[in-house]
Amino acid sequence: MSNEPIRIVLAKVGLDGHDRGIKVVARALRDAGMHVIYAGLWQTVDAVVRTVADEDADWLGVSILSGAHMTLVPQIMEQLRAAGLNDVGVLIGGIIPEADIPKLLEMGVARVFGPGTSMTAIVDFLKPGRSPAHA
Amino acid sequence: MPSELLDGLRRHDRRALARLITLAARGQNIDAIRNKLGPPSSRARVIAITGSAGVGKSTLVGKLIEQLRQHGKSVAVLACDPQSPLTGGALLGDRFRMGAASDDAGVFIRSLAAASGRQAVADHLDTVILLCEHFGFDFVFIETVGAGQGDTAFHSLADAVVLLLQPETGDDLQWEKAGVLEVADVIVIHKADLSGADKAAAQVKAALDLAGGREVPVLLASSRTGAGMKELAALLESLPTRARNGGAAAELLFLVQQELAARFRRPDIDSLAADWQAGRISTREALRQVLKD
Repeated sequence: MSNEPIRIVLAKVGLDGHDRGIKVVARALRDAGMHVIYAGLWQTVDAVVRTVADEDADWLGVSILSGAHMTLVPQIMEQLRAAGLNDVGVLIGGIIPEADIPKLLEMGVARVFGPGTSMTAIVDFLKPGRSPAHA
Repeated sequence: MPSELLDGLRRHDRRALARLITLAARGQNIDAIRNKLGPPSSRARVIAITGSAGVGKSTLVGKLIEQLRQHGKSVAVLACDPQSPLTGGALLGDRFRMGAASDDAGVFIRSLAAASGRQAVADHLDTVILLCEHFGFDFVFIETVGAGQGDTAFHSLADAVVLLLQPETGDDLQWEKAGVLEVADVIVIHKADLSGADKAAAQVKAALDLAGGREVPVLLASSRTGAGMKELAALLESLPTRARNGGAAAELLFLVQQELAARFRRPDIDSLAADWQAGRISTREALRQVLKD
């Protein structure tokens, strides 16, 4: 594993206009020395997977506050696999009910970060060495 | 590993392209990549888009992509955003503003971090451009970091430099200053739906006339209304694919600058600089130490 900066795509998927949280995370990861590709609001699953591929990202972070995570996350995981991006780690953030977290982890999500998560917790989780891709 | 990836690149595998760009941008395997690839079978039109932060470079590129796709042209965009000199981190937000197009196989957008003091583009961009040309893109856009007045290195990498200006950017003396206006091949007064666009265009034209010499088209365009986009795209398509500006000497100069910047990134640079500042070593000695291999 090199000391090269981690490349992470941050995106909001679907009809969900709340981007305050993901912007705070983007800023914190930037300040931790990572290269944050901010894909922004209202992305389709296709567009996010394309972005992860073209940007050669190590991680994908998706923030969902719309309640649609049990619909969107399976689609994201499926399309990442279909695109051969199995080695990309997926983080989910936002409003995710406790009961759904094990199901998301089961689908292959690396970690779910809910409200109140400290930025340090996310940065520490992503620290080099943990990066799933291109190790 | 690079040779497998290079085979992938020849088969138009986007993942191979994406991976090779990562390696090249980090300065890894550059010689292997360049030696094995050789010159591309067809050259892309390489267009640098520059202008100050907030002038609308990414948005304009998004609109140009729409136009060029309608004409069946494939487009790669290398979007450079600044990297923090303190943490090495970067927030790369350009592709968000380019909108649409993200499920189109004829469009490839890649965000690259540009270290500070490096002339507004990412390192090893020459090799990254070469990779895009080998993949077979018709157009390669280099979007520079929001560039002020002095950053002109991308000039040597591009077939044409498009400078974006916006209304109310300063008095007419602004245009007399040396720098980016001199290297522009096309000047676009962007946000031309705002008042003052005609005046800005007139001032720029007057400044160019005063200088005499080459003819630089000045266009009015607005990403909001779409005005002027068709004309700009047509102009960019009609540009001849010529030798890169300045030719081999300029390319060599760019490589030398890159190499010098790399030598400056040595672990003891701070103590060396402190010694020099305190007069413990002479300027000549300090230069000798920085430049020695």
